[in-house]
Amino acid sequence: MKSGITLVVLMGLLLSQYAQAASLVVYSGRKDQFIKPVVAEFTKETGIKVLLHSGSSTSLLNKLKLEGDNSTADLFISNDAGNLEKGKEMDLFLPVSQTIANAIPQNLRASDNSWIGLSARARVLVKNTNDKSADFVTSVFDLADPRLKGKLGITHSGNESYIAGVTVYMASAGKEKTSQWLAGMKENIDGKVFNKHSKIVKAVADGKRSVGLVNHYYIYRHLEKHPKAPIKIVLPDQGANQMGVAWNVAGIAIAKYSKNKQDAERFIAFVTSEKGQSLFAEVNSEYPAREGVPAAAEVPKAGSYKVAPVAMPALGQQRNATLDLIEKVGMP
Amino acid sequence: MTSSLNNPVVTLEQIKTRAPSMRGFLALLVVLTAAIPLLFVLFSSGKLSLQQWTNLWSNRLPELLANTLSLAVLVAIGSMILGVSAAWWITRRNFPGRRIAVWLMVLPLTIPTYVFAHIYTIMLEQDGWLGQLWLYLFPATAIPEIFNIFGVTLVLVLAGFSYVFLLVRDALSRSQQDVEEAARIHGATPWQVFWRVNLPMLRPAIAAGIALVVLHVLSDFGAVSMLRYQTFTLSIYLQMSSRFDYQSAAGLSLVLVTLSLTFMVLERFFRNRQRYYGSSQSKKITAQKATMFETCAIWFWLGLISTFAFLLPIAWMLSWSWQAWQQDLIDTEFWGYVSNSLTVSALAATLTVIAALPVALYHARERSALSQGFLYLSNVGFVLPGPVIALGILSFVIATMPAIYGGMTVLALAMMVRFLPLSIQAQESAVQQLTPSIEQAARSLGANWYENLRRVILPILKGGMATAWVLVFIDTLKELPATLLLRPTGFDTLPVRIWIEASEEMLELAAPASLMLVVGTLPVLWFLMREKSPN
Repeated sequence: MKSGITLVVLMGLLLSQYAQAASLVVYSGRKDQFIKPVVAEFTKETGIKVLLHSGSSTSLLNKLKLEGDNSTADLFISNDAGNLEKGKEMDLFLPVSQTIANAIPQNLRASDNSWIGLSARARVLVKNTNDKSADFVTSVFDLADPRLKGKLGITHSGNESYIAGVTVYMASAGKEKTSQWLAGMKENIDGKVFNKHSKIVKAVADGKRSVGLVNHYYIYRHLEKHPKAPIKIVLPDQGANQMGVAWNVAGIAIAKYSKNKQDAERFIAFVTSEKGQSLFAEVNSEYPAREGVPAAAEVPKAGSYKVAPVAMPALGQQRNATLDLIEKVGMP
Repeated sequence: MTSSLNNPVVTLEQIKTRAPSMRGFLALLVVLTAAIPLLFVLFSSGKLSLQQWTNLWSNRLPELLANTLSLAVLVAIGSMILGVSAAWWITRRNFPGRRIAVWLMVLPLTIPTYVFAHIYTIMLEQDGWLGQLWLYLFPATAIPEIFNIFGVTLVLVLAGFSYVFLLVRDALSRSQQDVEEAARIHGATPWQVFWRVNLPMLRPAIAAGIALVVLHVLSDFGAVSMLRYQTFTLSIYLQMSSRFDYQSAAGLSLVLVTLSLTFMVLERFFRNRQRYYGSSQSKKITAQKATMFETCAIWFWLGLISTFAFLLPIAWMLSWSWQAWQQDLIDTEFWGYVSNSLTVSALAATLTVIAALPVALYHARERSALSQGFLYLSNVGFVLPGPVIALGILSFVIATMPAIYGGMTVLALAMMVRFLPLSIQAQESAVQQLTPSIEQAARSLGANWYENLRRVILPILKGGMATAWVLVFIDTLKELPATLLLRPTGFDTLPVRIWIEASEEMLELAAPASLMLVVGTLPVLWFLMREKSPN
């Protein structure tokens, strides 16, 4: 009998709510290693504890949606403006007050400030410097050229940066052209897509591929480890009547049912401050969203090249159309 | 199987009316809980319009069906070859190291499919162990690609053949010598005996093993999503997570459930028709002493299997864990993940074992269409993929009892639904020994319900309950998709960390977590093998 009671009490204890210290809960779709230094500095400055709940952006957004007003989340961080805009569409966020939002240029945040961009990445080409066969490539649309058969490296089409890139190209060049482009690339990849951007850069460095489509920082990450790697960055579509480089931003939003809105805003104020911005963007060689905060020295200067004039919210609004297109072409 | 059937169901009036109704009520409660995700699927897919169904049907289904079914067939064949051959040699030949061989064939069960997928992806890279070996041996040809059906098959066979091995070994060690002797007397060669006597008699065990493997294939999330092979489960997950389209996900789940159910019914049908009975006096088969040549051949084959299914992955984990250790990456946070994993697994195992009891008892006593229906319904966890179970439970809890959301309760509940079928099966045989007459005797001697439970029912069921606990513990420890969605805020378990580190390519951190999963499973596996050991 006694053991029975002990068992019941134990079960009760275990089943009781998982104790939670009063702290700011952040659903983070950004890599742990990049967000942790920022969080640590914030806690050091304000004394506010932060509980990180990491995962993939999309599944965290699903969680937020399903939980509704039972969610413990105060903030949501994603590496993709598409996800942030989706969250806004589904009414999962609270707009950030204007004074805080003003720190970030208008084109890098939601129209009603329900999410704020924090750092930007450019979709660029990586080329092998010893391999002349891809020299003719100056536009992403050249990647569909049959001359690149077996020489092209791209990620699988579940990758959020890849999807966002395709959305920008679709918005700039139209559905028809983008669809043909995808079909051409499908021929060129010879059945092999990469599961990581870093592996594309590596394959190009090793001469297994001539050219790859990646986010700019993967190139610098590789060069940091292998300074002599024969790779270079190429900013595509810079001609007078070409669309420019596709950008995407990582950003932050306040969860609609946050019970701690004040501290959540303090966190946003911190990450959009000059110090917070360089902390947030620098660890990953990204462009800080706030004007006047410089990016890492090796990265092509923002403003020195042409960026596709597609507003970030479009990445969410057009995402399903992009997914449909990718599925229709049957990209792996 | 037959004991409770043979027993006349004429019992004392009070037992007939009071006890079964209580049991029936509890069983109903459990079964209803288990059916929540299924109800969710029915409800959500009911909202799909005809147009949406047609779209799903014409755009997605043909490819998904072809992918999923061909994968299931390949994995079934692969697991059968590995499992049956290993079981045959181990039960029929006495060779040095036989006990170790049994262990080597079972140990792959400690490695989850996503860990297999992750490790093989890395090992097959150019600078990976196998990649380097390949380039050394065949410098002219490219390293084989793992992101295709053959890669997924390899991973799922290595992770699943042990089920076939265990079941076939069990059947072989119970099979009797007289049939084989009769065949030999009539002039059959050993090969003919194998094909025409042994193999047909093993069919039920092989079928059960393959059924288990195929059901795992149908619901696998980890390997297919790491290797990006579009099966039903992966497609359902993507539909949910990247399009927020829960209705289409439910629609696809419904097709998957139908597929799995058809398969289960077929399997049961064939299994029921093939029963062999032997008299209890007949001689059990004893293993022949292996010749030198046989010993070498056996060890070559078993060594090959276990190299790929266990030794290589373990060596990889140890090597990278050592690096992590040297870089001081194994800190208090890491031990926190270990303790979270153990806590949630122990909790879920306890809950599931208790929940399975009324369902198993009710069926053993009633044997009615209703109790059979309960049993079928409790199988939801086997046929629905993990992400859908999590989605169903989450939606239900939020809609009906939000107060319990946020803690470990919901996670434990989802684990219970996922692993209830496992627990019921493990307890079934023990429950069948509990005939009404035993209880009747206890009651006539004045025992009340509590004493009856404590002094009669539980002692008989103890063994089955322990086995069930162990099985659920192991599976919860490895569970990924439901844990990803339902874990309390900031509550990371080992599988969750492996998932995160693997997607960030932090090899040094994914390795020790995988190693801890193996280590955590070992003691329970040891217990299970000791229970099952046929000697």
